[in-house]
Amino acid sequence: MALDPQLTSLIVPPDETTRIEDVLNRLVEETGGNHALLLDKSGQVIACHGDANRQDTTALGALIAGTFASSREVAKLLREKDFKMLFQQGVRENLFIALIADQWILTIIFNKETHIGLVKVLIKKASEELSAILQRVRQSRRVRDDVLGASFRTSMEDTIDLLFRD
Amino acid sequence: MALINVAAREIHCKIVYYGPGMCGKTTNLQWIHGQVPQATKGDLLSIATETERTLFFDFLPLDLGKVRGFQTRFHLYTVPGQVLYERTRVAVLNGVDGVVFVADSQKSKLEENVNSLKELARNIQKQGKKFQDFPLVLQYNKRDLPNALPVPLMDKYLNPFKWPRFEACAASGPGVFDTLKGISKIVIGKL
Repeated sequence: MALDPQLTSLIVPPDETTRIEDVLNRLVEETGGNHALLLDKSGQVIACHGDANRQDTTALGALIAGTFASSREVAKLLREKDFKMLFQQGVRENLFIALIADQWILTIIFNKETHIGLVKVLIKKASEELSAILQRVRQSRRVRDDVLGASFRTSMEDTIDLLFRD
Repeated sequence: MALINVAAREIHCKIVYYGPGMCGKTTNLQWIHGQVPQATKGDLLSIATETERTLFFDFLPLDLGKVRGFQTRFHLYTVPGQVLYERTRVAVLNGVDGVVFVADSQKSKLEENVNSLKELARNIQKQGKKFQDFPLVLQYNKRDLPNALPVPLMDKYLNPFKWPRFEACAASGPGVFDTLKGISKIVIGKL
């Protein structure tokens, strides 16, 4: 195991994933939104709920996290620590993005049927619940080998050799 | 920080290709995208200027399939190389698990390589991580050019910590997959 906690993985246990999905589910239902996504700040999708036809969540995750990281650098230039929330307005759909405890990014996609004020209130409530979950996930400190199995690394190396070749 | 989702049985890792302008970061991703099996790759997404220079990042998701029951995904990113875009590079480095530093082997580019590596060290340290322990490999690109510097000389200026390093010609392919294999295995080892 790496000693530096920054280099170890964030392991989300199944019961916490269920709670995350419940929070996203409620957020979509109560706002009447179309889709909610929880991302890691690196752009990876942790969970999503809503429009089952969305095939583009991986690219969405990378781009939204990029937008957020970019806005943070803008904030620094303005001598702000960061922007906690971002709003992007489209003709048909809008995006509301909130930062959770410097680690996760909560995004909701909604259309003109939903009032922005309601989204603001409910995303704040959802953020607080997710923040508590994140805190538990960070503290749970599960050992990698318990989750992946000791032989995972060797199997993974074989797969890498097999796939990454000319 | 890599993400392991136990319920979905998924592992996600983020790898960033870093280096000075025009050193071949995007070319690496284009080669990988062209060569890996269809089932492994997603779309290569580029946020570039009209002249095809990277403006924000390129993004290539790779799905390695199930390994011991876990779906493993690598997300490859590049950064814009021009000096001006340091803030953008910092943004892309957010949550990175491993870095490929692509150096341009041409003699005239040595100083740019050195400066870019110093900037990378500074940005990794700002994330609270020790640079010399950080998962990193070097790629000496454009080895086919007549004005390429000798490898020992590049080592002297760019590889003080003896990171794994690979010689490459990203435009025609040699060394691209060796580099990707190198960083992938280090990142997996650090999970």
